[in-house]
Amino acid sequence: MESVANVLVGVMVAGFGIVGLFLVAGAADSEMFIFGLGLAVFAVAFNFGLVKRHFDKRDATRGAAREATHV
Amino acid sequence: MQLPIRHEWFEKNAVFLLMGALLTVAIGGLVEIVPLFTIETTVEHVQGMRPYSPLELRGRDIYVREGCYLCHSQQIRTLRDEVERYGHYSIAAESMYDHPFQWGSKRIGPDLARVGGKYSNDWHYAHLRNAQSMVPESLMPHYAFLEQTPLELDDLQERMRTLRELGVPYTDDDIAHAKEDLLAQADPRSDNKALLKRYPKAVEASGSGHVVTEADALVAYLQMLGTLVNFADTNTERLQQ
Amino acid sequence: MSDHALAERPVIYNDDVVKKFVIASIFWAIVAFLVGVYIASELSWPALNLGLPFTNFGRLRPVHTSAAIFAFGGSALLGTSFYVVQRTCRARLWGGEALANFVFWGYQFFIVMAALSYVMGFSQSREYAEPEWHLDIWLTIVWVCYLLIFMGTLMKRQEPHIYVANWFYLAFIVTIAMLHIVNNLALPISMYSAKSYSYFSGVQDALVQWWYGHNAVGFFLTAGFLGMMYYFIPKAAGRPVYSYRLSIVHFWTLIFMYIWAGPHHLHWTSLPDWTQTLGMAFSIMLWMPSWGGMINGLMTLSGAWDKLRTDPGLRFSVTAVGFYGMSTFEGPVMSVREVNALSHYTDWTIGHVHSGALGWVAFITFGALYYLVPALWHKELYSKRLASWHYWIATLGIVFYIVSMWVAGIMEGLMWRAYDKFGFLQYSFVESVVAVHPFMVLRMIGGVMFLIGGLIMAYNLRRTVTSPTIEAPTLDTSMGGLAVAGE
Repeated sequence: MESVANVLVGVMVAGFGIVGLFLVAGAADSEMFIFGLGLAVFAVAFNFGLVKRHFDKRDATRGAAREATHV
Repeated sequence: MQLPIRHEWFEKNAVFLLMGALLTVAIGGLVEIVPLFTIETTVEHVQGMRPYSPLELRGRDIYVREGCYLCHSQQIRTLRDEVERYGHYSIAAESMYDHPFQWGSKRIGPDLARVGGKYSNDWHYAHLRNAQSMVPESLMPHYAFLEQTPLELDDLQERMRTLRELGVPYTDDDIAHAKEDLLAQADPRSDNKALLKRYPKAVEASGSGHVVTEADALVAYLQMLGTLVNFADTNTERLQQ
Repeated sequence: MSDHALAERPVIYNDDVVKKFVIASIFWAIVAFLVGVYIASELSWPALNLGLPFTNFGRLRPVHTSAAIFAFGGSALLGTSFYVVQRTCRARLWGGEALANFVFWGYQFFIVMAALSYVMGFSQSREYAEPEWHLDIWLTIVWVCYLLIFMGTLMKRQEPHIYVANWFYLAFIVTIAMLHIVNNLALPISMYSAKSYSYFSGVQDALVQWWYGHNAVGFFLTAGFLGMMYYFIPKAAGRPVYSYRLSIVHFWTLIFMYIWAGPHHLHWTSLPDWTQTLGMAFSIMLWMPSWGGMINGLMTLSGAWDKLRTDPGLRFSVTAVGFYGMSTFEGPVMSVREVNALSHYTDWTIGHVHSGALGWVAFITFGALYYLVPALWHKELYSKRLASWHYWIATLGIVFYIVSMWVAGIMEGLMWRAYDKFGFLQYSFVESVVAVHPFMVLRMIGGVMFLIGGLIMAYNLRRTVTSPTIEAPTLDTSMGGLAVAGE
């Protein structure tokens, strides 16, 4: 259940990142440029963290499982 | 006492609690705010009010951008000392085209609701550049950079169109001539008959002369503040809300 | 009493997001106090404005208020609400880890972008609602996610009753959503431009803004922090809330009446008189529920007053409730039209706001932080002595601040209305500016003291986190909602 929710959040944030890129492309002033860029960077960093957390967690459970079988 | 509503409903059902809280907080706002849009006399009917001229509008944008309202109110209260210090008390009609209103909440500097015409243009330029040169005890920051920044003119018509959508009565003609009017107001040698026809009492403001700067716009705005309504022609009954 | 059979199944709480909010709250506290001290210095020595666009008072002041209210206060509210709702519902946060993380990072992104936009010269110039339209939309998205998590957690709770702290948190979340959306209605000049014009104008805009502005105080800075009070004071004192019945009355009357009080910010202005009178009447009535809440908080300590000597966090919380009582008495007094004629536009208002912001909001947060950091990281507080120093320096700082602003404000009010024997106004405006200069300096010193206190706290809590663990982590599942609610 939780992994589905996490993927949904990831998709939503990716969507915001794309909106950010559009805002950068069309920006009429410096503020909109920086905001759009910030939004895109935010989305990339956030989703990177999301992926990292996922694999960290899997490694941890796998490591634990391996240890359990070796004992 | 036994109430018909049992508090347990709210304590045991998050949706009830949410709706209950939302309803409870909605009432006050509805009762106070909605009538301000429906009661006809909330905004008085007075002669002289007009939308901002393009240069004044850009000046107001700069006023908003710099957060001037944090130190200067634009609202003279109906108190004897305020009226004697600043002029006729402010009426609602005077800010009817103000998106957003800039009444302010603190006077670190004096009220500006009727500052228009009180000082010369030269005084304003010098004061914006270095307030302490005019008023040694002043706490005001220096806004010399406004004089060095050319005024952005490209989105002028978009700004006016946006305001028209919000109810400011700019005509097609006003919008079509926006740039001409702005340049006319920022140039003392220009023929400004058309400008004054569209925007009576508009004050010319020109600093260095070659390019229109942000300081020009701000001075034009300051010089019209509180000058539009002629209170000599307005009787008190018309000011009843 | 709750059925503790349910507690046998352990719930793994999401404390990771709470920890992040706690760290953010401490960080932003320092930023807010620092910028506050700087702009207070600008008002003492205007040369500090430096003549640069982005260091001017007009652009830095919203940085200070936003950092204090939304960054420091907001992070504390979101963090504690996530902590409290999980424990009193005995349920893990709804929506999963990613959603909670999105609320955290999305909120921090909002804060950084807002501060950046002010110094770059983008502001709606609506007090406490300065961010432009695109940032408002972003905050709305984050806020809806926050509401979803909070509601979802309430709905999957394992406790029969929703604990009183959660009522206040919920009212805070939903009312702020309403206020934020309505007050920020605006039309941008284009999709790609950050500049917008507000939907309302003039007198209507003024009332909408102060309906928002006053209830940012009422719901962000009061209701939310009352939620904090209703959890952390009983918890630290080890006593149930004094009166359950009073909590109910307190809650509903407070949220009903607060919303009406906005027009007292617009006395003697172009706002129609009937609205001003209504606002004043409700502001005075508001004194009752406010003090009801104060009594409920203070009386919870009956039988546990001795803990004030040993628990530095509790000392902050209880002092906070005292300041809450003081400023919720001062507020209704200032809302009386005749008093307001004197106090409005002066530094008295600034002093009043800070007795609430420093005395109530910051202190109740400090109390919660001194409780939370050891609890979350399973450590003993590094130094009670340092916490005690923090307490006294900060309290003295508040006294400096409030007293200097009272004197300055009343002096300004009296000078502006003074007449000489010939019937002319006695003072020019600038004479009042000169007269209050010493008090501006005193206020700045008060601010410096408060900042030093904050730095001591940050150091103390940092050392707490890095100190060696003293005990094995235990699952804190013992406290169900009603165990604290009493009855």
